Amino acid sequence: MLTAKNVSYWYDTEENSLYKDVNLDFEAGKLYGIIGSSGAGKTTLLTLLSGLDKPRRGSILYDDTDIQKIGLTQYRNRYVSIVFQAYNLLPYMSALDNVLTAMAITHSTHENAADFALTILSQVGINPELAHKNVQKLSGGQQQRVAIVRAMCCSAPIVVADEPTGNLDEVNTQEIIRLFQELAHQQQKCVILVTHEKEVAASCDVQYHLQNKTFQPVA
Amino acid sequence: MNFIKRAWQNVIFKKGRSFLLIIVMTVIMIFIMAGLLIRNAAMTTVNTTKQQVGASVTLSANREQAFKKMRTSTSNDGPSATKTRPKLTMPSVKLKDVTAISKLAGLANYNVSVTTSANASSIKTITTSSNSNKTGGMMGGGPSGNAESITSTGDLQITGVLNTATLNAFKDRTSQITKGRALNSSDKTTNNAIIESELAKENNLKVGDTIKIKATTTSKASDTLKVVGIYKTSQSSVGLGPQQTDPANVIYTSYTLANQIKGQTGKVDSATFTLSDPTQKNSFVKAAKKIINPKQFTVTADDSTYQSLKQSMQKMTNFANKIVWLVAIAGTVILALIIILMVRERRYEMGVLLSLGEHRAKIVGQLLVEMLMLLIVSLALAGIGGRFAGQALSKQVMSSVTTETTTNSQTSHMRPDGNGGPSGNQAPSGQPGGNRPSGQMQQPGQAVKTSDLNLKISAVTLMQLGAFGFTIIAFAVLLASLNILRLEPRKILIG
Repeated sequence: MLTAKNVSYWYDTEENSLYKDVNLDFEAGKLYGIIGSSGAGKTTLLTLLSGLDKPRRGSILYDDTDIQKIGLTQYRNRYVSIVFQAYNLLPYMSALDNVLTAMAITHSTHENAADFALTILSQVGINPELAHKNVQKLSGGQQQRVAIVRAMCCSAPIVVADEPTGNLDEVNTQEIIRLFQELAHQQQKCVILVTHEKEVAASCDVQYHLQNKTFQPVA
Repeated sequence: MNFIKRAWQNVIFKKGRSFLLIIVMTVIMIFIMAGLLIRNAAMTTVNTTKQQVGASVTLSANREQAFKKMRTSTSNDGPSATKTRPKLTMPSVKLKDVTAISKLAGLANYNVSVTTSANASSIKTITTSSNSNKTGGMMGGGPSGNAESITSTGDLQITGVLNTATLNAFKDRTSQITKGRALNSSDKTTNNAIIESELAKENNLKVGDTIKIKATTTSKASDTLKVVGIYKTSQSSVGLGPQQTDPANVIYTSYTLANQIKGQTGKVDSATFTLSDPTQKNSFVKAAKKIINPKQFTVTADDSTYQSLKQSMQKMTNFANKIVWLVAIAGTVILALIIILMVRERRYEMGVLLSLGEHRAKIVGQLLVEMLMLLIVSLALAGIGGRFAGQALSKQVMSSVTTETTTNSQTSHMRPDGNGGPSGNQAPSGQPGGNRPSGQMQQPGQAVKTSDLNLKISAVTLMQLGAFGFTIIAFAVLLASLNILRLEPRKILIG
């Protein structure tokens, strides 16, 4: 479904590349975990896979089509949902409106969008009362969950998440992992998590360890 | 349509910021509104007063040619001619020429003037200290300027006209009918007359009474005039120098009666044609010149009132235009800076929307809609406040413009040649060349009387303001959006 083909990326000079000629395949219906030390380039890979940035060399293919040919905006709009480490919620909206706005922008195919969003929010512990509150009045953990629900509610076949459980307690972490697993296994989406938590990575179907500028599959 | 909803949510959520932006926009809009109101009012005033003021074209004897003729005849007479004074013969205007010119296109109205003098038979005239020592009241003869007629004098000045309403003295309310009625074309061939209130008071005359006068230029016994109206004048004197008479001694009659007293028929001293559109004066004069004999008569146009008014209104329009454009440019810059700062503050939000795959155009659209929402409120407030600001500004500017124009007008009336303008031959009645109907001499400061502009807020003005407002915010948003358009979401969200 999603392929990184001979991808190289560097910030300043090629000699200081984060990685060279990376080849990775991501399939629908699987939950992927990418682990690695801080500064190794996990988030950068995520930005490349989600179309927020372009590889210096090589290409990202979606169903064998270069995402740059699809158009990065179009790709983000139709094929990928992103969960940021810093939540990135719209501050002037309620939790529900944040989800609904994302659904509207990405042309989500879910019927009764508001009911659907409220249901998913409830599943992650955001009851209707909280859902109607401005997101700035929610705790960090609650905001993180809203950000995850926002990605889940969109109809995109790929979900990428950057440290999605970084601000959550153990109980909520388990709940979020369960939701991601459900997305992958039941809704047949390709879910890619970037994390430094080995427990979270262990819950994934496939793990890649970014070490020494290469991605090593973890058995 | 989601971006419109987002815009609304943002405006509502950021109440304080929205309120401040409304204030800034309202101030800008009020100034633009004031400028637009002044500009529109000045343009409307120019158009309406153009119709009201018109331009006057005067048909009178050609003095230059008359003098040439006089000198030629003097030199032809040889050395013996030096013994007698040369005679200046000013021809009278033929009525048939006046009638022909009155049929030309673009004419609003016309008037004719015949001035002569007469002695009062049945009434006492008003005597002033300046003329009390003289045996007669004033010189007769009027504009024909015949040497013979100059020798005759009378107590009263008889001014024959077609109607009195179009005389400047009555138009500018220097003279006003207080009892009875004014003279009009129906008084032609009648002995009807209007007299001054002081003369009426002195002789216990009222409307319907009759007075007897005796011509000074003919041997005719006397004429009986019927008083149909009494007017009051604020003029201090009529005529200049030794021929000066008290304005109360001026009697207005029909031109036919004045001709009868003067002993002429089918002629007038001068004719004044008022044009409906001052811009047509040149073509009118050209057409009129084809009708008259240019060796004897001259046609002069006077649109000084219109020109003076036009000049002042142009200054006002220019000033208003400057206000509109300066405020529009300053407003655009101010709003653009505010919006740029606002966008910088909202970079993260833009990044989120971009990461969700929102089109840049829709993000710019959201900003534009937000500003439009605030603009609508500002327009309503400017609609209320703009009029007051406009009035304050227009009063200030009008007072300076009026003062300046009045000064110019006074200067033009005090020219050393004694002529107040193109046709302003302000010679005293009864003097050679006094070819302007009495009471038609232009008064200084008459040119501009529009001390207040009529500032009306119309749907068109509001639409103009809306268009200005929209252009300003569109330009400001576009300037600010250049920043967004080159943003890469990764740099905003992760960089």
